[in-house]
Amino acid sequence: MALDNITLGQYYPADSVVHRMDPRVKIILLIAVIVAVFLAGNLLAFVPVIAFLIVVTKLSKVPVKMMLKGLKPLRLILILTFVLNLFFLQGETVLLDLGFAQIKQESLVLAVHYSLRLILLVLFSSLLTLTTPPITLTDGLERLLSPLRVIHFPAHEMAMMMSIALRFIPTLMEEADKIMKAQTARGADFESGNLIARAKAMVPLLVPLFVSAFRRAGDLAMAMEARCYHGGEGRTRLRVLKCEKRDFIACVLVALLIAIVILLGKIY
Amino acid sequence: MQVTMEHVTHTYQPGSPFQATAIQDVSMEIREGEFLALIGHTGSGKSTLAQHINGLLKPTSGKVLLDGKDIHEKGFDKKEVRKTIGLVFQYPEHQLFEETVAKDVGFGPKNLGLSEDEIKERVIEALQKVGLGEPELMEKSPFELSGGQMRRVAMAGVLAMRPRILVLDEPAAGLDPQSREDMLQLISGLHKQGTTVVMISHSMDDVARFATRAVVMEHGAIAMEGTPQEIFRHAERLEGMGLDVPSVCKLGMKLRAMGLPCPEDVFREEQALPALLALWKEGKRHGA
Repeated sequence: MALDNITLGQYYPADSVVHRMDPRVKIILLIAVIVAVFLAGNLLAFVPVIAFLIVVTKLSKVPVKMMLKGLKPLRLILILTFVLNLFFLQGETVLLDLGFAQIKQESLVLAVHYSLRLILLVLFSSLLTLTTPPITLTDGLERLLSPLRVIHFPAHEMAMMMSIALRFIPTLMEEADKIMKAQTARGADFESGNLIARAKAMVPLLVPLFVSAFRRAGDLAMAMEARCYHGGEGRTRLRVLKCEKRDFIACVLVALLIAIVILLGKIY
Repeated sequence: MQVTMEHVTHTYQPGSPFQATAIQDVSMEIREGEFLALIGHTGSGKSTLAQHINGLLKPTSGKVLLDGKDIHEKGFDKKEVRKTIGLVFQYPEHQLFEETVAKDVGFGPKNLGLSEDEIKERVIEALQKVGLGEPELMEKSPFELSGGQMRRVAMAGVLAMRPRILVLDEPAAGLDPQSREDMLQLISGLHKQGTTVVMISHSMDDVARFATRAVVMEHGAIAMEGTPQEIFRHAERLEGMGLDVPSVCKLGMKLRAMGLPCPEDVFREEQALPALLALWKEGKRHGA
């Protein structure tokens, strides 16, 4: 039904170099690439970034269609960014006079620049989530944040919470779908009516969903305690994260990318 | 009221890497007044099939006809389908949400747009049917009830819509023996009063006791179809599919394996005693 098409966590299973990379490295490199995108001072500097994106996408075996799907929810923001910058930025060279407004060369360049920056941010981030299973991602995040334990930051607890949340999204989704169907079978209507009517129609879905979430939370806590879970102290892992050659190559590549971007920004 | 399925195929999440075909080219019919049992291994597509009966799922290809009319055709009133065909999901007590039992049972009739009086009448009638007729119970919160009572309230919620065809997905799962028996008696009673019943079940003893016809599903397709007598004659084949057979059948198989001439079409408890007596007399005559 309506919930069929939501793929949260949106992991795309495939066997590729990008998939096999260490999640910690991937997270750090994503941040580095985002820095590179912001460092790009002119349109030319975007060329190596875009080239890098294309190469990595190709390597990851993720279909382009899946990548572009990530942009869909942002289309309104993208259009707004482009249009607002196009009309409201200051400039001198008039390209087009529409009477009520003028399009200037400088503003056109900047509008393209800002939109491109946004698109690249989204695409690189979705590349990370598409190639890394959510649980591996939180694993990597936990390891990256663990030095912060010195200042009493609960890295393990945060990661555990995130893993549980991610683990239960599909379960709860299935549950929601089932309850929705059951109520539909009793003549409930989730799809028509105005906003208030639709919000009211959610009650028969949300109440059972919350009840089951609480029940599951209780069961899970019990099951974890029964298996002697007592927090992160002294825990060993099933999958030990290890940096390999490909991770170092990726780091070097991204460092080079940043260098090229800075260089191109300086020259022109 | 007759439901006909014509070459129904259903694929979940088509086009994604998670695509899965749950049922493939299924054609069958549900006849007026019958008690149809849907049997199959977990993942054989029974529940998906059940959800096609009242139009909750739309077939990827193929048609579902109610009295000859395609229920997914434009202009066909879906409310009509929901009114005629009631669906009780697995663990239906997980769908309760209202403040009081009466309100929860009245949810279906209210959605049908009935008057207050009519809703009240139907709520009382439905609760009496499931054996929860006490007036003080109606104003209780459904979350205060016991598990078995909650299941019966959820069941009443579907019965209050007065369906002509009732589809039940493992209605007795997880109940204690007494509640289980009550539930089965309730369903059997509804069938005797003229409701067409479609029941998904893992208990072959229940199928042997109540069903007038059975459909066996395997890998999303119909593997066997017929009266319980016809189906349980192929007990070995059922076991090959990872399914159980009624206890009486098992006994018969053991006796036959010992070389005793136990007839193959004995599968109900009440048939067992006469058959065993016949065997015993036979044995005595031969002086064994």
